[in-house]
Amino acid sequence: MLAFIIRRVAQSALVLLIVGLVAFSMFRFVGDPIDNMLGQERTQADIERLRVQLGLDQPFPVQYYKFLEGAVQGNFGVSYRQGRPVAEILLERAPATLELAAVSGLLAIVLGIALGVFTAIRRNGVMANVIMSASLIGVSLPTFLIGILLIYLFSVELGWLPSFGRGETVRVGDWWTTGFLTPSGRAALILPSITLGLYQMTLIMRLVRSEMLEVLRQDYIRFARARGLRDRVVNFRHALKNTMVPVITVIGLQLGAIIAFAIITETVFQWPGVGLLFINAVQFVDIPVMAAYLMLISVMFVGINLIVDLLYFLIDPRLRVDRAGGH
Amino acid sequence: MLHRHTATALTLILTAGLAAGLTLGAATGVRAETFKWAGTTDPQTMDPHAVNSAPVLGFLNNVYEGLVRRGKDMTVEPALATSWEPIGDGEGWRFHLREGVTFHDGSSFDAEDVLFSYQRASDEASDTRSWFAPVSEVRIVDPYTVDIMTSAPNPIFPGSIANWMIMDKGWAEANATPLPDKENGNYATLNANGTGAFQLVAREPGLRTVLEPHDDWWGEVEHNITRAEMTPIQNPATALAALLSGDVDFINPVPIQDVARLAGNGDVNVIQGIEARVIMLGFPHEAPALKYSAETTDANPFADARVRQAVAHAINVPAILQTIMRGNAEEVAQLVSPAMRGYSNAQAERPAYDPDKARALLAEAGYPDGFSFGLKCPNNRYLNDEAVCQAVTGMLAQVGITANLDAMPVQNYWPELRADNYDMYLLGWSPGTFDAEHPIRFLAATPNEEKKLGSWNFGGYSNPRVDELLPQIQSEIDDAKRQAMIDEVTAILQDDVAYVPLYVQPLVWGTRSNIELTQRPDNFFILRWVTVN
Repeated sequence: MLAFIIRRVAQSALVLLIVGLVAFSMFRFVGDPIDNMLGQERTQADIERLRVQLGLDQPFPVQYYKFLEGAVQGNFGVSYRQGRPVAEILLERAPATLELAAVSGLLAIVLGIALGVFTAIRRNGVMANVIMSASLIGVSLPTFLIGILLIYLFSVELGWLPSFGRGETVRVGDWWTTGFLTPSGRAALILPSITLGLYQMTLIMRLVRSEMLEVLRQDYIRFARARGLRDRVVNFRHALKNTMVPVITVIGLQLGAIIAFAIITETVFQWPGVGLLFINAVQFVDIPVMAAYLMLISVMFVGINLIVDLLYFLIDPRLRVDRAGGH
Repeated sequence: MLHRHTATALTLILTAGLAAGLTLGAATGVRAETFKWAGTTDPQTMDPHAVNSAPVLGFLNNVYEGLVRRGKDMTVEPALATSWEPIGDGEGWRFHLREGVTFHDGSSFDAEDVLFSYQRASDEASDTRSWFAPVSEVRIVDPYTVDIMTSAPNPIFPGSIANWMIMDKGWAEANATPLPDKENGNYATLNANGTGAFQLVAREPGLRTVLEPHDDWWGEVEHNITRAEMTPIQNPATALAALLSGDVDFINPVPIQDVARLAGNGDVNVIQGIEARVIMLGFPHEAPALKYSAETTDANPFADARVRQAVAHAINVPAILQTIMRGNAEEVAQLVSPAMRGYSNAQAERPAYDPDKARALLAEAGYPDGFSFGLKCPNNRYLNDEAVCQAVTGMLAQVGITANLDAMPVQNYWPELRADNYDMYLLGWSPGTFDAEHPIRFLAATPNEEKKLGSWNFGGYSNPRVDELLPQIQSEIDDAKRQAMIDEVTAILQDDVAYVPLYVQPLVWGTRSNIELTQRPDNFFILRWVTVN
């Protein structure tokens, strides 16, 4: 068990290093930050001076090494655009993304499971078929289009919900800001979280439905019904429980995707989270911000995968037996 | 049974959503004098000397003030200086300062602040340093008189410092920000203390910046704003939706393709004007050979003025403006727009669209069958820049020259131009001084690192007469003589076809219909000219 964990952690660290290396080798294709930092009346000498000052004259392995050196000490450098420490900026933006991801995730899980079960149980009903057809939209329409459609419908045409931003936020603790505590903050969450969660919701719904249909065909369900158990007990205590194992795995993996894909939703709704920060950083060639964001996202994915792997190890006894037997 | 639960859950969620939405709708329905606006770019700093870029200077013009400022029609008018006059025979300028002016923190303004701001803004750490290249010394005569000495007579100096903003010496020193720090930031990056009509009350980079009126402002108040909030919105569709839904009162810019649609909407107004920016094509004057040609690898046709002339005649600018700019821009024949000082009325005529003449010129230059070359173009710098380049490519093909278009983001574009990786390129130029001398200095003068000339003259265009006239234009006090020299340079640039100017970029702003404001050609949004009805 310990050997397994150590091996997985070491692999994760290696993955992180490689992600960082690839990211750094890509940065020079993103463009040159110098022109954005100097005005129209800059001279060639100004350009060279700033390039040396930022260390951009050095080969990328050296730049990467310096970044790593700072990163392990918790120092991600200073944003080219804002002239402030990157860690500070990321912390400032993280609550917006995390709150959005949490609400979208919750929305996707609750509605996804509920609708999945519903469509499985009433698979021939009119309503279930309508929902199934409508779910195709969620799977096939690109996120930005859904976002724009929602904005035009609920903000421009109906005027019910704000078209952009996070509304009024309230400071909780040292660095967390929340939109949950104000009416405008809650209203601002609705459209972006639907936009962000729709794909995941339809995915979970379709997964739950097919798993459920599979389980409902099993003999023990038939016997349960034959025993005269009520529908609710059969459907929930027996059927749903047994469909949840693969569903939970997918939900775990989708959690990371929600945060990573928030980039598009955040751009459409001008949601002040880390995704929007990243997009702006790309446009400005703000290398320290891009590097820190990419590392953060890869740490998150690697971390989730690691946890999922460890959970498998705990849940599935066969894995343990196999390993023990093999060595 | 299950479906009942699902339905209940759904209803709950929907009701909650609707309730929240309705509450907000009610809240925004009542509009106070809080004015909200959205721009594409967040000003990256609140330090007026750290970054010389339009988003920063335009925003800070509401917070800080200079000795002089520009009025609604771009004329230079008194601000912190009430009057100014040349010293002696052009040795410098004397500025008489306004008395009784206070900064936002209550401290008073005098000559010490001017001297301090000069030292701060002209330091090597400042991006605004080049404005003070002509200045030899700044002297305090008395607390309300300052002499700014120039190394040579400089008639346009007062107009060239309209964006030089005065910072309080005491405030800067107390907050340890004697110099701007662009790389690491300091107190002035997030805070401001100017004398302007509005003071900064909240600054959240990339989220929102809040201004409130400065109660002790010296000027006469024209606006009725009690609070103003600026939010950057990068996505044009989102900005437009925010304007249409009334979440913001003003957006800049409105996407060109949406102008016609907005015109039919009674809730919003579209304000159109001409920006100071001239869009042009540039050439490699010095290159020995084309870099991206399939067949002409040992010669540079663009070194021949006749070929450049052919390009000028081959491009149908009115058609470009009609289709791509939807009639919102104006063609131009020189490097500045008619709104700029020193615009040459004598040279206002653009080469006519004449493909036959273009073909004849090409034949005369030895390219009867044309040639192929590489056209570099940004795709996110100017309005519809890539589409314009595609149109240019098509029009040049009509006369037999084949452009291989390579469009890229501006972050990659400037390094390519600096590395001479082009056979023709698209450039936009907005003169910071609003004077025709500006593009001559940056685009037409022979590149000279030491004298800071021709720093954007990528193609290395060089004409001894232009180089000779430039210092004379810079120091000529007599307006008529100065204009004559500018006319001569303009004529030379047109005869040489140093560049092919195409059009002046349009400005398209959108407001709610209850907003009145003034659009200035430099695309600066001046809050004190806004009225909310």
